[in-house]
Amino acid sequence: MASKGAPSAADREQIFGMAQQEMEYRVDLFNKLTQTCFDKCVERKYKEADLNVGENSCIDRCVGKYWQVTGIVGQMLGSNRPPMG
Amino acid sequence: MEAADFEALPEEDKHRMSTMIDHLQVRDSLKMYNSLVERCFCHCVESFRRKTLDKQEETCVKRCAEKYLKHSMRVSMRFAELNQGAPTPD
Repeated sequence: MASKGAPSAADREQIFGMAQQEMEYRVDLFNKLTQTCFDKCVERKYKEADLNVGENSCIDRCVGKYWQVTGIVGQMLGSNRPPMG
Repeated sequence: MEAADFEALPEEDKHRMSTMIDHLQVRDSLKMYNSLVERCFCHCVESFRRKTLDKQEETCVKRCAEKYLKHSMRVSMRFAELNQGAPTPD
């Protein structure tokens, strides 16, 4: 998309479209991550309203690992993508 | 898109981006509300002998919601750290 000067109206629309998709992807990622780690780390009994130390550690680690998995899968999808055009 | 890139945009584009972000935030809040209700209902309500919640169920729902919100805040912090590439605690 090499263009001299300001991007055309069509280019701008494409950029906005991509930005929106990127934002929606991030929101979706965050939501799935939150739900998954809650299910993995927090007991359903709800003995109290606060998170205990064990749950806090579990959540931190869960987020870290989930992030790693996101990266690995992203790499694999990126390398397997068929050539464009 | 970094904060610096956002600031460099012309006003019209900034406005459009802000509107997009606000829209997403509202939609996300509403989704979260619904899914939290569903989650706490499923986890806390088992019997239908009455049409109102008993004390136990009500306490359970309150704890469930509060716990999930606290959890969500913690995840936000860690998510933001990872997004910035900062080292996170082991």
